[in-house]
Amino acid sequence: MLNIVVCVKAVPEPIAASNLKIDPVTKSLPRLDIPLVINPLDSHALEAAFQLKKKYGAHITILSMGPPPAGNIVRECIALGADEGILLTDPAFAGADAFATAYTLAKAIEKNGPVDVVFCGMSSSDGATEWVGPEIATFLNMPVVTMVREIVEDQGDEWIVKADYERGYRMVKIKLPAVITVTRDLNHPKPLSFSGIIKARSKEISEWNHENLEIPAELVGLKGSPTVVTEMTRVESRRNVKLIEGSLQEKVDRFVQILSEAGVV
Amino acid sequence: MPTESAAVFVIAEQMEGGIQPVSLQLVGKARKLADELGTKVGVILLGQNLTNDSKKIIAAGADLVLQADSEALVPYQSELYTEIIVKLVVEHRPEILLIGSTFMGRELAPLIAARLETGLTAHCIELIISSEGILEQRIPAYGGMITIVCPEKRPQMATIANGVFPSPVLNPDKSGEIISIELPKKFPQRVQTLEIFREKLEGVSLETASVIVAGGAGAGDPEGWNQLEELARILNAGFGSTRPAVDAGWTELETMIGQSGKIVNPDVYIGVGLSGELQHMVGVVGAKIMIAINKDAKSPVFEKVDYGVVEDCRVFVPALVERLKNKESFVGKVR
Amino acid sequence: MIDFTFSEEQNLFRKAAREFAETEIAPHVPKMEETGRNWEPVIKALGKGEMMAITIPEAYGGLGLGYVARLIALEEIAQVSVATAMMMQVCGLGIEGIVKYGTEEQKKKYLPKLATAESFATTAVTEPSGGSDPKGCGTSYKKVDGSYVLNGRKCFITNSHIADVQIVMAVSEEIPDTFSAFIVEKGMDGFKATHEERKVGMRGCNTGELELKDCVVPGENLVGKEGKGMSIAMATISDVGRGGMVGCALGLHQACLDAAKKFANERVLYGKPISNLQAIQFKLADMKIELEAGRLLGYRAAALQDKGERTGNEWAAAKYFTTEAAQRAAKHAVDIHGGYGCMEEFPVTRYLRDAYVLGPSAGTSDIMKVIVARWVLS
Repeated sequence: MLNIVVCVKAVPEPIAASNLKIDPVTKSLPRLDIPLVINPLDSHALEAAFQLKKKYGAHITILSMGPPPAGNIVRECIALGADEGILLTDPAFAGADAFATAYTLAKAIEKNGPVDVVFCGMSSSDGATEWVGPEIATFLNMPVVTMVREIVEDQGDEWIVKADYERGYRMVKIKLPAVITVTRDLNHPKPLSFSGIIKARSKEISEWNHENLEIPAELVGLKGSPTVVTEMTRVESRRNVKLIEGSLQEKVDRFVQILSEAGVV
Repeated sequence: MPTESAAVFVIAEQMEGGIQPVSLQLVGKARKLADELGTKVGVILLGQNLTNDSKKIIAAGADLVLQADSEALVPYQSELYTEIIVKLVVEHRPEILLIGSTFMGRELAPLIAARLETGLTAHCIELIISSEGILEQRIPAYGGMITIVCPEKRPQMATIANGVFPSPVLNPDKSGEIISIELPKKFPQRVQTLEIFREKLEGVSLETASVIVAGGAGAGDPEGWNQLEELARILNAGFGSTRPAVDAGWTELETMIGQSGKIVNPDVYIGVGLSGELQHMVGVVGAKIMIAINKDAKSPVFEKVDYGVVEDCRVFVPALVERLKNKESFVGKVR
Repeated sequence: MIDFTFSEEQNLFRKAAREFAETEIAPHVPKMEETGRNWEPVIKALGKGEMMAITIPEAYGGLGLGYVARLIALEEIAQVSVATAMMMQVCGLGIEGIVKYGTEEQKKKYLPKLATAESFATTAVTEPSGGSDPKGCGTSYKKVDGSYVLNGRKCFITNSHIADVQIVMAVSEEIPDTFSAFIVEKGMDGFKATHEERKVGMRGCNTGELELKDCVVPGENLVGKEGKGMSIAMATISDVGRGGMVGCALGLHQACLDAAKKFANERVLYGKPISNLQAIQFKLADMKIELEAGRLLGYRAAALQDKGERTGNEWAAAKYFTTEAAQRAAKHAVDIHGGYGCMEEFPVTRYLRDAYVLGPSAGTSDIMKVIVARWVLS
């Protein structure tokens, strides 16, 4: 039976979040009430774990670092089929960059016990650095392969995977225990079911802070982040737009005229 | 090179038949940063048959190339590359380390940063030396620009996409040092790239297209997306996308134009059903004419273009395509 | 202390139901609208999505959840298709009869298949001679050698042609003023679904007539006791049938509000979106306030029902309010759309038609007021 950890991030719902703008006066982000969802790519990481569970049997642990509302996301992952969840929550974790985030997650994975595979979505919809998976691997002294679109061979402890690469893909052989970051092409996440939600009632979610992880506060959150945001500015990039008016046909004709003058048609 | 000399380093990447364009662009930028700091540019290059590539890197502005030349380094192997590069960085102690955000760069950069316990910024579109001599890394986000710094840890690391910085003018008379680096004797690798496969690319390449149609969330659904694709086809244009379209599953990440995608410089850019988010717009550089089609009169995209049509793209685009089909003949130029 | 928030689990149910409705039900709606039929794929989807198992006890293959969970699921599904929510809720009505009043044998025989939607259900009360006046029921039964022979006609029955398991109310031919309820199964001799209605709204929801001609129903298909048929039918309709209508109405109301908001933000007149105009804003406010009020009435009734209380009065008030409010909301939504509100490509036209079919279902608004008046004066 495999021991799998899936790292999941609770992110603001991407379409609503795309309206978030730096306030030009306060030079910071306004507090908007945007609901949290599972980072879309993490759903594919989860599904990869579920498929392995179906094939070989597995114990799947969800790991997420975030403020208390992120607990709902962990619960949702369990309702989808994971066996237990760990929410890393602590005011000290706030303001973490990718490095501090990966460090904290890695410490939790270590504390949780032996693991065979750590799945992560290749990036988050907010942030989108792609750094956390590989950095977790480094802290755990594990090999990593990023942007996996297909798991070709998964028997035993030496896997063969197909990963996105320059103008194509690469075939990679990787020895477990390992970190694997996944793309959307890997699978189709299955939907939430009422029966899954009911089954989740008996499964456990633990909450750990930095003391539970036995790491000093200086190594996590903003304090533990080598990078820091120093400035946020609103950018106004303006051109003098001419709106094309008229009936549909008139607008189409004018449009084609513009393209023609530009040498496109 | 004296080991206490602070320097600006670049990790260059070999590709079939030469060097990745972004690597040379970063060498050019590193040269400028180094001149400001009064220091030197070092480049690390791993691969095989590197002599000409190293010479080109020097011509692009490097003072030093640390080259590791071996068949064991082709194709890219994450653990071996990380091991070699980390050793060199620890030895040479650069202030700044830049990497192109290619597929290799995006996996390698965090592995190096984590080993060195230093900061790493993604999707930089500007690098500026502050008055205190610190590297200010600028990334577009939330309709504006965010400045990130790595105040204490070294090196200050950043990844930059192809096309953000200009290609440097090559100076064949520039002098520089090439040092050969030995591979570690025995290095068991737990992860290995077995083989790289190239897939057929369809359509007009975004990087070279002179006309680009970019689609966003306004396409509505796969059917709407196909309508936009038809428009691009009829105009013989490159067809790009924004993140919402990729997230919706209508197209691949490869087609995404923007801060964490491709940087393009067409003559004519037509943005359809997108809101003109800064993260996307920074990917469009130097377009002479920018046009937007969006059904929302309030859309911020209309502040960033030369011509705008307030119309549901699902209504306008089919009508436009119909009209273009009836036009006699036209040619979309490709550089 | 009253806690007006949904639990984490209830929020997950809502999320699951919403995703289900958007991916599994929505694609079939255009064909349902066009043909007035095409219910097969949504019935199948309801089964696969565990929607029919909600109020069936776990011992019989169900999820053993309560009426709040049912209301959440119906509300989300109705946002996408009132027709589907209607079929689902009326099937739930048939299920309720068996769960509350059925024998152990009846439960074991029918519930497991109903949980997966392999079988579907309904309750048939209304006749040409009376719906609002159920005692006008003309369908009759007489006992013959331990079986019952039924004769009569039912009309305006939801799921008439789809349901395999139908709880039919009939009046005794022998003892006056005595009503009994029977499980009549599709395929039984003398039992036929005859005329299929073409409704102006809730298209794709199967509604039709039933004909019973010397239909012999085995003795073990009697539901509850002889003579209890009226109270069984009325209890299930008042507690579950009307609860289901509230789900349909709330979902439709939300859909109207969403469509109105979207249009108002996009439609530009006088240089600005019309959502800037107070006249439009006031309509949106009216819709919102009534939706919030309807939700409170509905969820309170469901919560009381989950505690085991009789909720006929609360549901009557909620059914009256939410169905009337949904009709007002649909009209507001159409008005906000201006001329576009008459064009079929805009879903608000469907919402208007769906809204007024809500009115007479499970009892007219006037009947609801009769019930509430009785509540006041008791």
